[in-house]
Amino acid sequence: MSNLLTWITFLPLIGAVVVSVLPKGRPQYAKWVAAAFAAVDLGLTGWLIAGFDRARGGAMQFAVDVPWVPQAAIRYHLGVDGISITMLALAALLGLLAVVGSWKVTDRPKTYFVMLLLLQVGMNGVFMALDFVLFYVFWELVLVPMFFLIGMWGGARREYASIKFFIYTLAGSVFMLVGILALYLAPNSGTFDMLALAKLGQAGVFRDIEGWVFLLFFLGFAVKVPIWPLHTWLPDAHVEAPTAASVLLAGILLKMGAYGFIRISLPILPHAARAWAPWIALLAVISIIYGAAVAFAQTDLKKLVAYSSVSHMGFVMLGIAAMNPEGLNGAVAAMFSHGVVTGMLFFIVGMVYERTHTRQIADLSGLSAAAPVTGGLLAFASFASLGLPGLSGFVGEFLSLLGAWRASTGTSPLFWSGLVVIAAVGVLFAAAYMLWMVLRVVLGRPSEAVRSVTDASGREIGVLLPLIALTLIVGIWWGSLLGFVDPAVKALLAATGAA
Amino acid sequence: MAWVLLIALLPALAFAAMAPMSRAVRNRMQWLPLTAMSGSLVLSFAAFVEVWRAGLGEEPVWEAAVKLAELGGNPLEVGLRIDAITAVMLLVVTIVGLCVQVYSLGYMHKDERRGWYFAVLSLFSAAMLLLVLAGDFLLLYMSWEVMGLCSYLLIGFWHEEEGPRSASIKAFLTTRVGDVGFALGLAVMWATAGTFGFGAVARFNWGAGAGLAAASAVALLLLFGAMGKSAQVPLHVWLPDAMAGPTPASALIHAATMVAAGVYLVIRAMPIFIASSHENLHAVITIGVITAVVGGLLAVVQHDIKKLLAYSTISQLGFMFVALGAGSTGAALFHLVTHAFFKSLLFLGAGVIIHATHTQDIREMGGLRRALPWTTTTFTIGALALAGLPGLSGFFSKDEILVALVNIPDAYRYGLWEKWVLVGLMLFAAGLTAFYMTRLWIRVFGDNACSLARESHKKMLVPMAVLAAISVVIGWTQPAFLTFLGHEAAWPDPLMAGLSVAVFAIGVGGGWLVYGRQVVDTEVIKARFPYAYGMLANKLYFDLTYSELLVRPFHELAGWLSRFDQRRVDGVVNGAASWWDDFAGLLWAGDIRVIDGAVNGLGSLVKRAGARVREIEVGRVQVYQQLAYAGLLIVLLVVLLLPWLRVLLGLLVPMLRGA
Amino acid sequence: MVVGPVAFMALAALLFCIGLFGALSKKSAVLVLMCLELMTNAVNINLVALSRFLTPSSLAGQFAAAFIMVVAAAEIGLGLALVLALYKARRTVELDRLDRLKG
Repeated sequence: MSNLLTWITFLPLIGAVVVSVLPKGRPQYAKWVAAAFAAVDLGLTGWLIAGFDRARGGAMQFAVDVPWVPQAAIRYHLGVDGISITMLALAALLGLLAVVGSWKVTDRPKTYFVMLLLLQVGMNGVFMALDFVLFYVFWELVLVPMFFLIGMWGGARREYASIKFFIYTLAGSVFMLVGILALYLAPNSGTFDMLALAKLGQAGVFRDIEGWVFLLFFLGFAVKVPIWPLHTWLPDAHVEAPTAASVLLAGILLKMGAYGFIRISLPILPHAARAWAPWIALLAVISIIYGAAVAFAQTDLKKLVAYSSVSHMGFVMLGIAAMNPEGLNGAVAAMFSHGVVTGMLFFIVGMVYERTHTRQIADLSGLSAAAPVTGGLLAFASFASLGLPGLSGFVGEFLSLLGAWRASTGTSPLFWSGLVVIAAVGVLFAAAYMLWMVLRVVLGRPSEAVRSVTDASGREIGVLLPLIALTLIVGIWWGSLLGFVDPAVKALLAATGAA
Repeated sequence: MAWVLLIALLPALAFAAMAPMSRAVRNRMQWLPLTAMSGSLVLSFAAFVEVWRAGLGEEPVWEAAVKLAELGGNPLEVGLRIDAITAVMLLVVTIVGLCVQVYSLGYMHKDERRGWYFAVLSLFSAAMLLLVLAGDFLLLYMSWEVMGLCSYLLIGFWHEEEGPRSASIKAFLTTRVGDVGFALGLAVMWATAGTFGFGAVARFNWGAGAGLAAASAVALLLLFGAMGKSAQVPLHVWLPDAMAGPTPASALIHAATMVAAGVYLVIRAMPIFIASSHENLHAVITIGVITAVVGGLLAVVQHDIKKLLAYSTISQLGFMFVALGAGSTGAALFHLVTHAFFKSLLFLGAGVIIHATHTQDIREMGGLRRALPWTTTTFTIGALALAGLPGLSGFFSKDEILVALVNIPDAYRYGLWEKWVLVGLMLFAAGLTAFYMTRLWIRVFGDNACSLARESHKKMLVPMAVLAAISVVIGWTQPAFLTFLGHEAAWPDPLMAGLSVAVFAIGVGGGWLVYGRQVVDTEVIKARFPYAYGMLANKLYFDLTYSELLVRPFHELAGWLSRFDQRRVDGVVNGAASWWDDFAGLLWAGDIRVIDGAVNGLGSLVKRAGARVREIEVGRVQVYQQLAYAGLLIVLLVVLLLPWLRVLLGLLVPMLRGA
Repeated sequence: MVVGPVAFMALAALLFCIGLFGALSKKSAVLVLMCLELMTNAVNINLVALSRFLTPSSLAGQFAAAFIMVVAAAEIGLGLALVLALYKARRTVELDRLDRLKG
């Protein structure tokens, strides 16, 4: 069904329209309708996965490619390969879980769910778009609903956080736009199509401008990932955002930045990518250590998880910078795992906050005594986050390290080996802050705030169950995920390897 | 032989079944892990028989691998492997594991969360069994980490108290320091050899130059990982604190199995050590001998029975490392096996003792031999085995290590006097072992104090009896053990045996003299009235000299070492933690002020600039008009006067240039 | 003395400048409107005079002037209506006091 991708992308838009015209008097309709649309979207995505040919995962499948604005050579071009399909699956799943996780929203629920559905459109579209203008539209599209979600349903400093998030990310995107135009206007180009541009770039057509364009794209993606030092919007945005928004922000939006590197920077600007890779790796390792260290100093539970995201995305970038099969597989695995695990963490933190009305670690202790299921889930999520083998986090971290070490057999071995050693120490730090948090929050005697807490409800457990399952499945059988990813990685490296 | 997977799978399934249960239900499900463990035990026996029949020594009887993923088309495989080493380890883990579980039925029967305890114990067993079944370093590493998790959960089992909480995190982090090295070693291994499998790595030709350096790097990094898990100096600091957990857990994890995993890792990595430089084996021996001696010295001054046993374990693990450094995996494995049985026995006994006397301080105990006859018997057997009584298992295994030291192959380049120094130090450590065990025994069971303690439940005594019986018998299997592994069969060497016995006697004798006969205790009094007592008998006079010259300085040294360990070595660990705390806070402040400050500063700059520019807008129409006309006037002037301006510039510019 | 185009232009310029000065500096809105009318009429004078002297046969300037007068009338009607509305709302027609769009 060649229209499958279009349906997956725009079904939530239809959903948003439907929800917005629902009668105001019955707000509960909004959540059921939204959940229905999200569920159907997930179902369609599942159908897509079933129909996806993993062996040919290196090529774009289910593609649709029709002219959109012929006068400017803009096309409506969607497609999925091994890498995008994993991200799409993650987006569809987290989108549904976000809706179900927001079941208790009482403040302007209609608008809230419209925002979630609009966000879904953008997220789906980014991972499938193969035309730059289309890509840019979806990329920017996610900013608006997220801005409103943070600004209207967020915490105490929500205006500051939402504006900071919006402007910071937009600023980065503007640089990216210049890069897009540069590629379009370059001699022998005249196209916005990513696949065509990739072929041109690999043939060396953009040699003269490659360095600059890479830098422009880098700025756009680096803010999103986020790479140190462009990360400071993340803690505020995450802390002030409502639970579902945090889940989607950490789970999907951050991945869009890394995805940009893999889909755009590497294939279209391979020479520059290779030249800049060591610097990106350096920033990645700084992110790993810095994020972990600062996480350790946090007193706010949500901020701790936010900084841990900075640290984990550092591993993703390290794997990308390694530019070999282990590294790229590790990066995508880390992206997927981080989406699942951090999604879990934010859901659970949200559950705790709903019941105790505090996020301060100092006020929380003994959760497992008062609410054993919640405490156990938080402990499980924490262990997944620190990369315990057998859970999905380990796959990405380990493969990224392997990849980065293999990169040290090339040029500047000392630099790369040094980075790998420091990154490995980052793994140790990750254990430190997570265990310290578990020690304080989950174990021990129940504190004042925790004493009268109710345990997780069936719905809440239901939301977490798919995430727990994915963590275990991917952690034990790596091939379940990497079977999709590796062919695409292979194809990508083959195309850019000679560069 | 694919059914061997069940050995690890059964306890794992028990855990998976018990984990989601509610507390009440779980507490009644203790039979489940016991059944699983029994099943594993039976299957382990079956596996052992299979391996025995095949008689292939360290060559695998069965191997299987499954593709975990493809990386750029290259397969990444993990798999299982059964060889003689595996068979032995399987039996050790399942036997000790089952004994500990039965014991725990009695020990934990009043605990509110006993169901969870059994669940985690089950998961731990599964992980340890998977570790020994693993056929490659990656699966080994993964099980290794899961075991670390279970250790964390068990040490911190009574997490309402501060002590277990901090001990558990200390244990996890200290071992993780080692694990960082392990992971890096794996990375180098993959980059160089492209595989993780034991057989493939053993057969890999590392080449020369860079390849050899890589082999050394892998060996040393894996060694570092082993040091963490096996509590070698300086990564040993977590083990004494780990005693905060339930005693049977300590018996299983911190005496018999998990701490032995490091030794197991080095055994599996031995081909890498041999292929790389002999300096690496020197490193292993050095670490081992330091640990053996330091552990022994520290054990002498411990008052807490569990901590004493912990330091003893550290010391014994040092023994195993020494054997490894001498290139003898057989001796190391044999000692691992004997140690697993008698040390776990000692811990279980300690559990009974603590339970009965409600204290862990041996100075508050005494005379228990009358009150707890069974415990006394089994504990004594264990203690004598550890001390090295000829005929008991410890004697055989320690002796084998000494023999290995003496027979170090020339290829490893140990000088003759180096070897004998090592032998001397190890004999010293062995003597210490005998000494402190005697001290322990006398303090706990000796004296004539009347104790009101009652003997424990059968559930706790039967496993101890089983372990004691094994400790008596297993030493005699030494030749069979070595042939099973594919090494040369050997009985204890007479010279070494003689030295061991001598050292044992000195240790026990010294201990009895100092603590049984309380020579030192009365020494103070005697020192005050030397003439009054000096007349009585020459030998007292000798004793006095002896204690003054040897015992007291020796005690002071041990005490000083203990404090040094606690304050300096452990202090570094704690200091690093608080430094890290400060550093992290600093970085965060920097993050807020500097980096984020720049972002906010940019925003406020824009705001202020905007405010300035906004001042033009006065809101009064006439002002706008005035501005408009003024602008128009200026434009008109410029246009009209343009030719005059050109002339003016033409004159000015050369003037300026000239100036 | 021949009254040439220059005289008319001078008159127009004079009137224009008086009107401009008034428009820029008068406080009352009504007076500003009157000055605007003055400027408009100065332009009218210019148009008529130049048309008469330069292209007598085509009456372009005169037509333009008539056109402008009609538009000016409409504009003044509108302007005075606005001033009335402004007075009703703010009880003043002093331009200095009408700065709500400030900042």
